[in-house]
Amino acid sequence: MLDVDGLRKVYDTHGRHVEALAGLTFQAAAGEFVCVVGPSGCGKTTLLRCIGGLLAPSGGTVRVDGTPVTGPPPDLAIVFQEYGRSLFPWLRVHENVDLPLRSKGLPKPERKRLVAEALRAVGLSDADGAYPWQLSGGMQQRVAIARAVAYRPRVLLMDEPFAAVDAQTRADLEDLIREVWHHLGVTLLFVTHDIDEAVYLAQRVIVLSKAPTTVMEDLAIDLPEERDQLTTRADPRFTELRTHVYARIKRSTTPLEASP
Amino acid sequence: MTRRVVALLALPAALFAVWWFASAGSTDFYRPPLSRILVAFKETWFSRRLLDDVAPSLARLAAGYAAALLAGIALGVAIGSSARLRAYVEPVLEFLRAIPPPVLVPIVILVAGIGDLMKVLVIVSGCLWPILLNTVEGVRGVDEVLADTARTYRIRGVLRLRHLVLRAASPQIVTGARQALSIGIILMVISEMFAASSGLGFTVVQFQRGFEIPEMWSGVLLLGLVGVLLSLAFRLVDMRILKWYHGERDARR
Repeated sequence: MLDVDGLRKVYDTHGRHVEALAGLTFQAAAGEFVCVVGPSGCGKTTLLRCIGGLLAPSGGTVRVDGTPVTGPPPDLAIVFQEYGRSLFPWLRVHENVDLPLRSKGLPKPERKRLVAEALRAVGLSDADGAYPWQLSGGMQQRVAIARAVAYRPRVLLMDEPFAAVDAQTRADLEDLIREVWHHLGVTLLFVTHDIDEAVYLAQRVIVLSKAPTTVMEDLAIDLPEERDQLTTRADPRFTELRTHVYARIKRSTTPLEASP
Repeated sequence: MTRRVVALLALPAALFAVWWFASAGSTDFYRPPLSRILVAFKETWFSRRLLDDVAPSLARLAAGYAAALLAGIALGVAIGSSARLRAYVEPVLEFLRAIPPPVLVPIVILVAGIGDLMKVLVIVSGCLWPILLNTVEGVRGVDEVLADTARTYRIRGVLRLRHLVLRAASPQIVTGARQALSIGIILMVISEMFAASSGLGFTVVQFQRGFEIPEMWSGVLLLGLVGVLLSLAFRLVDMRILKWYHGERDARR
């Protein structure tokens, strides 16, 4: 469904030549939940913007459903980290969810149904008439998720969506996203710097190196399908996996001269 | 609410009182007592003049202001959306903006005669710039994440213009429109001081030339009142259009 092949991105600005992505290759099957983790500054957002067609890569290709990406592909949605900047502050909650559906040209009754359904799915049915800035950060990100859900994408990209909310809200949103993924059967690529979050959420974790970035490891998460904040995180296998990923990332960021 | 009304009216009332008492016994021909000015005000403006002079002035202002709004926003969106277009027109804009509009009056008379068209064009020539330049800035300043969101959801064309570009630029557009309104009032008066046969500016000059001093003062007073009323009306529109903007700003505090 999602095919990233030799993806490179080089920034040439003010005479500085920065290689952000040094050739990334990985795939995600239809309906798969893949988390991408890496040290901070490793070009996770660059990767995601290239896949979403918002940024032209310097080399390599991205294919969504077999079609090379040259601009934002249809049936692809992104949930950004900066929820406060990705919602339209002049539109009410239900209008925010509705706008992409209008661009799809759906008839009004169907749009209405999809919006109501999506808001119910994220637990925001009561807030549909509010403006985004009247809501808490966690609720705003729920609106952004509802907007993605209503759009019915086949590929959903999430860029550190929970980095800016408090721990409790974050746990709730993690469970919400697992639910949404189950419900939609969408291919989900979730970028995060939080190793625990990646292991808890995903079926597969792709570990990136520091810049210039490559894929360091592609790890299957063999935890039971049913995840739970208490039992999953207490599972010895969970600890094993997260320790493994943590060690990989740590090794990649430690300067050579510092290692014994 | 009452406190706000008191705060709003306290200083004007005080100034009015000072004027009233300071000028009460005045025998100076050029500075008549306020009481005489108010009598002249009633006699001058609560009459046919309201229709013959005030209405045409305001109509020309409305026409010029509306045309400037339309042209300024349309051009501003086009220029703000295209970096290439901006590179070409920016030097010209800087030049045109620097010309004081009253200077244009003699030129506009040559081109458009001395009728209503000339006066409307003078108003447009002054009101256009703040609206145009602020719209350009507003359109350029559309939040990147929001623009990316619109791209991802393939929100394009009219939908993008209506729900992203114009709305995101609206705080700036309103700022420009507010500046343009005060410029418009000034130019409304100035355009009527040249080759006019009606209007507020024309009347004030007529009174001055005819040594009808209290009437002249009453015209100045009326112009001030017109300005206050227009800016109040503007505030109401602003609060409606930018409800989200003020709300968001308050929420962030």
